[in-house]
Amino acid sequence: MYLKELTELNGVSGYEKKVKEFIKEKIKSKVSGLEEDTLGNLIVWKKGKDNKRLMLCAHMDEVGFMVSNIEEDGRLSVMPMGGIDLRTVIGKRVLIGEKEVPGVIGYKAIHLQKGDQLSPPSIENLKIDIGITKKSEAENKVKVGDFIAFSTESVINSEWIAGKALDDRGGCSILIDLIENDIDLFYETYFVFSVQEELGLRGAGIAAERIKPDFAIVIETTTSGDNPEFPESRRSTELGKGPAISSAHSGYVIDEVLFNWILSNTKELGIPYQIKRRTVGGTDARRIATTLGGIPSAVISIPARYIHSPLSVMNLKDYENTLRLIAKLLTKEVKE
Amino acid sequence: MKELIKKLTQTSAPSGRESKIREIIFEEVKDFIDGYEVDRLGNLIVWKKGKSSQKLLLEAHMDEIGVIAAYIDEKGFIRIEAVGGVSPYNLLGSRIIFQNIEGVVGIEGETTEDLQKNMRELNFDKIFVDIGVEDREKAEELVPLGSFGVYSASFTDLGKRLVSKSMDDRIGCAILIEALKKMNPYHNVYGAFSVQEEMGLVGASVVAFNIDPDIAIAIDVTGWSDTPKGPKRMSIELGKGPCIKVKDSASISDRRVVERLRELAEKNGIPYQLEILLHGGTDAAAIQRTASGIVSGTLSIPCRYVHSPHEMIDIDDVENAVRLLQVLAEEPNAL
Repeated sequence: MYLKELTELNGVSGYEKKVKEFIKEKIKSKVSGLEEDTLGNLIVWKKGKDNKRLMLCAHMDEVGFMVSNIEEDGRLSVMPMGGIDLRTVIGKRVLIGEKEVPGVIGYKAIHLQKGDQLSPPSIENLKIDIGITKKSEAENKVKVGDFIAFSTESVINSEWIAGKALDDRGGCSILIDLIENDIDLFYETYFVFSVQEELGLRGAGIAAERIKPDFAIVIETTTSGDNPEFPESRRSTELGKGPAISSAHSGYVIDEVLFNWILSNTKELGIPYQIKRRTVGGTDARRIATTLGGIPSAVISIPARYIHSPLSVMNLKDYENTLRLIAKLLTKEVKE
Repeated sequence: MKELIKKLTQTSAPSGRESKIREIIFEEVKDFIDGYEVDRLGNLIVWKKGKSSQKLLLEAHMDEIGVIAAYIDEKGFIRIEAVGGVSPYNLLGSRIIFQNIEGVVGIEGETTEDLQKNMRELNFDKIFVDIGVEDREKAEELVPLGSFGVYSASFTDLGKRLVSKSMDDRIGCAILIEALKKMNPYHNVYGAFSVQEEMGLVGASVVAFNIDPDIAIAIDVTGWSDTPKGPKRMSIELGKGPCIKVKDSASISDRRVVERLRELAEKNGIPYQLEILLHGGTDAAAIQRTASGIVSGTLSIPCRYVHSPHEMIDIDDVENAVRLLQVLAEEPNAL
């Protein structure tokens, strides 16, 4: 499990290189083949008993910002990269660009706000402070187009992890574990670490087009919604209750055969599981399913709280159970 | 034809769970086709050979809007999520049919004020399905989490007008079936019954990939403008003929398709309407962008109360659509 290491790396959409290098180092000696495509997806594969192809996909990218302008006073204007609740970012540390220049996300202090604390800050007034007061000096350290990643040290104990980018380094870590474990694979299995999911599922379709898989399973980290104020019925998923299996989500109903196959294997394994209760939001499955002549796809997710913020929380038992489930699926034939 | 429409509309098959309707459609067309294929997403593609070397793709989606069982409480009440564009206002007072049982949609409200507020600002969090059981275990047995339901709403023959759930787009399926049965095509005709249109044109995105047709026409319902204070700025009336779509919010029909259909309708005395739909789209939008681009358009049937449990169409529009498609397939001119 590489959750701590992976969540401390920076890989805002379009700048997944560091994450990819880390993953490559860990797995390169354990796969039958490895390639990177033009968009930056990392694709590795291992042989199975059957020549049919199964594609597993987790995205490497995380939400963050990009420098859109350097202002006269040396502060940086930004644009969001992916869906971020701006209320969660004020006063947080960030790292900017490949040189990882440290900065702080600034906004007017609470003393200067008149009852507007509950509405999200406007992106126009959100500035990054890098401790410089002149544009010309700032230009020596950062440039327009530099990515901005949250700088969060992960905290991990035997049961929990708190860190940024669990969405979807959780999925990436599971894929690495699966590659490292010597699993008796049924299908020729392709492990795809995809790019730019957070900006609109941009990487996965290209990878699927290259691989031409017979089936695909997307491994995600998904919204929990187990806040105390929510009644149980409104909780998308809950921590500690096992992997979340999606029946449908934005833009795609999960393939019936795959859904039932996953469900029956989960029950057989005797692990806790949950059917995701919300269908909002999409995953790479939509893009993969509509690639080429159509690729039946499914989604299995690890629940996490506060995703798309500088700090999210995951239960490691859910991680373990998700890993166990997928490890089992990889040894099985897809059957009705 | 009415019997066929009744059979198709009364079948339950929401997006992603189309196997029942696919079997029924296949039974209807199997004796009239030269070949068929079910692709990996579940699209049914059938074909009839012609004399020309050109390919005509006619497409209708076989899925319908529905709901998913997302949560069941200890008393056996089911919370649902939408599959496609289902309005909670239409669900209220409706019945939902799951695979093994039917239920009634109820609404939360602890006080009169509360109930009125929920009525005004209705959403899926405020409603539930009551299948008449007393506990969670019994409910889960009948309606496992993640299973699908659709409106339970009957077929009514009003004479010229027909009312049922899922006219969208079983009426397109009926037209395509009928046209395939009748036609003796000059061109190679592919009939596609596609999946998951209501989820965002999923099936149609891949259906044309292997066929690579010269022309594709989606057959689907469209809106209406002929009811009291009905939608403004549009001209779509029931019974005035099938609509040759010019534009909707998802695609612009290829001009050549529009002109071709118009010309054939005029020549053969088939009534038609030119259609601009302000909000909505059809599978033509996905087909148009498949592979290196496909010349596409839509032939639509005016339909009142689309996405409600009671969608109304005019049988004359349906029959005229069948005629127009038949003429298009049989006309010995290049597409």
